[in-house]
Amino acid sequence: MTDAATVRDVAALARLTISDQDIENATAEFNQTLALFDALSTADTTDVAPMINPLDSAQRLRTDRIETLVDRAGLMQNAPASEQDYFLVPRVLD
Amino acid sequence: MTGPFETISSLARQLDARHVSSRELVEDAIARTETLNSTLNAVVSLDKPGALAAADQADQARADGAISPLLGVPMLHKDIFCTRGVKTSCASKMLADFIPPYDATVVKKLHDAGMVSLGKCNMDEFAMGSSNETSFFGAVKNPWDVDRVPGGSSGGSAAAVAAGLAPLATGTDTGGSIRQPAALCGITGLKPTYGRVSRYGMIAFASSMDQAGPMARTAEDCALVLNAMAGHDPLDSTSADISVPDYSAGLEKSIEGLRVGIPKEFFSSHLNDGVAATVSAAVKELEAAGAVIVDVSLPSTDLGVSTYYVIAPAEASANLSRYDGVRYGYRCDSPSDLQDLYLRSRTEGFGEEVKRRILIGTFTLSAASYDQYFMKAQQVRRLIAEEYQSVLKDVDVIAGPSAPSTAFVLNDGSKSITDMYMEDVFTIGANLAGLPAISVPVGLVDGLPVGMQLIGSRFGEAQLLNIAHQFQIRTDWHSLTPDLEGLTG
Repeated sequence: MTDAATVRDVAALARLTISDQDIENATAEFNQTLALFDALSTADTTDVAPMINPLDSAQRLRTDRIETLVDRAGLMQNAPASEQDYFLVPRVLD
Repeated sequence: MTGPFETISSLARQLDARHVSSRELVEDAIARTETLNSTLNAVVSLDKPGALAAADQADQARADGAISPLLGVPMLHKDIFCTRGVKTSCASKMLADFIPPYDATVVKKLHDAGMVSLGKCNMDEFAMGSSNETSFFGAVKNPWDVDRVPGGSSGGSAAAVAAGLAPLATGTDTGGSIRQPAALCGITGLKPTYGRVSRYGMIAFASSMDQAGPMARTAEDCALVLNAMAGHDPLDSTSADISVPDYSAGLEKSIEGLRVGIPKEFFSSHLNDGVAATVSAAVKELEAAGAVIVDVSLPSTDLGVSTYYVIAPAEASANLSRYDGVRYGYRCDSPSDLQDLYLRSRTEGFGEEVKRRILIGTFTLSAASYDQYFMKAQQVRRLIAEEYQSVLKDVDVIAGPSAPSTAFVLNDGSKSITDMYMEDVFTIGANLAGLPAISVPVGLVDGLPVGMQLIGSRFGEAQLLNIAHQFQIRTDWHSLTPDLEGLTG
C-alpha cells in the first residue's frame, strides 16, 4: 500500500499537483492499479533477460550529418511565448 | 451514384470508370459528416478547403492518366498523426491549438498515394483509453447504438468508418486501440508488426508498442492501404528495414490446411457468452474453408494486463515529459516562476486518465520501484513473447475474440479503472510481442458487432489479410451497416 504522501512525492517528480480534495481518491486509484501489478510476482523470471524492444533489434544510428527537417519559423509558431528565435519562460535568475 | 458504405476497391473502380469524381466523393463525405457528427462526435476537425483542393488534384491526375488504387479516395486520420498546417490535438487540452509544421510519414505516404484527407478523428486523450471517453473533446458515440462507446483509443476512426463518413481511417494500436474499436464498431482493423509502419510524426504514447494501421470495411481494403503505409523510414530508428510485399497479391489464396490455434485462455471467464458463441461460429467457418483448428495455450494471457500497465505508463511518463508549457502546447496563465509554469501547465493541460498513467509510470520508474515493477515487467514481457512464438511454431495464426464483450454503455460508473484495463486482455499480447493482428466482424449479439482477432507471426500481415479476406468472401458480417436513418433525417 502506498500512502498519500508518497503519491504527492511522485506527483512532484512528474511535475503534477494533486489538490487536497483529490488526494484521497488519487491514492485509492494508485493502490488499485498497484494491486493489479501484484500478479507479476507470480512469474518466475530467474535468468530471463528484460525485453526492451519487441523485435530485440538494436537501434540503428544514422550517418552523423546535419539535416534540416522542419523550418524554425514553423516550429516557433507553436511557442506559447517567444522573442526573436527564443522561447520565453519566467525569469530564472534574479 | 455511390453510397456512403462503399469499399475503397469499389470506389477505385468507379473513379477509374469515371462514374464518379473525387470531388463528388469528398463533397458527399463532408455533407454526411456535417450531418452526423453533431451526434457521433467522431471527427474533431474537417479540412474542407484542403480536401476539395486535393480532390480536384486527384481528378486532374486521373484525367492525365495517373493510376493508383487509392487515387482520389477520401479518408480520415486519427488526430494522433501530425498533419502539416492542420490542427493535431491528440484529443488533449495540452495540444488543442497545436499546428504541426510537418506531416507524419503515414500522412505523407497516403497523400503521395493519392488519398484525400478529409480531416482528423477524435480519440482517447493521448491514446490512453478503451472507450473514447477520455477525449478532451467529449466521448465518441457508437453508430450502432449512440448510448454506447465505440471502443478506444481509435474510437473516432472506427465510428467514422462504421457510419460511412469515409471508407478508411488511420488508427494506432498500443494495447488494442485499432482492434478493439474495430470490433465494437463492426469494421476491419489491422495492427501491423512493430516496425512495419513508421512512427515518425505519430505522437508517442508507449514507444516500444505504438504501431499505426488501417481501419476499413474489408481486409481487401486494409491490404490496399497497407501497401502504401508500410516500409522502412530513415526518420524512425525503430522502423524495420525489411522489404514490403504486395499485400493484395495473396488475398485469393486458399486457406486449405492452414493451422489456426485457439488459445483456451481467450475463452475464459472474462469473455461474454454471446461473444464466445459468435467467435466460435466464426472459427467453424474457417474450418469449413479448410483450415485445421488446433487447441493451444497461452498461460500468461492474464499476466499480460499487469505487464502492459507497468510498461505502457512508464514509457508514457517519459514521452509526456516533453509537455512542459515551454516550446509548444498548453501554458498556464501568469506563471509565478518556472516550476509553477511546469506544474500548472501539466496539471491543467492533461486529463485525469493521462495524469493517472503518468503518476503510475513515474512511480514504477523511480529508483525504489524500478526492479520490482519495471524490470520485472520487461522480463515477463519476454516470457509472454516467447509463449506466442512457441505457439506460432505449431500453428500459422492464433484466433480468438478481439474484446471480452460488445460495446458497453457510455459513462458506465460500474466499471472500475482496472475493469477498464481488462478490456485489453486479449489484444495486449500482440503488442507486448510486437506481432501483427487483425480484427474482423463476425456477427452481432443483441444488435451489436463482435470482432474476431487473428494474430500472426512477425511480418506475417499478408497471411492475416489472406485469411480475413477468405473469411469475408464466405460471410457478409463486414457488409452490415448501422441504421442511422434517425440521425440523417
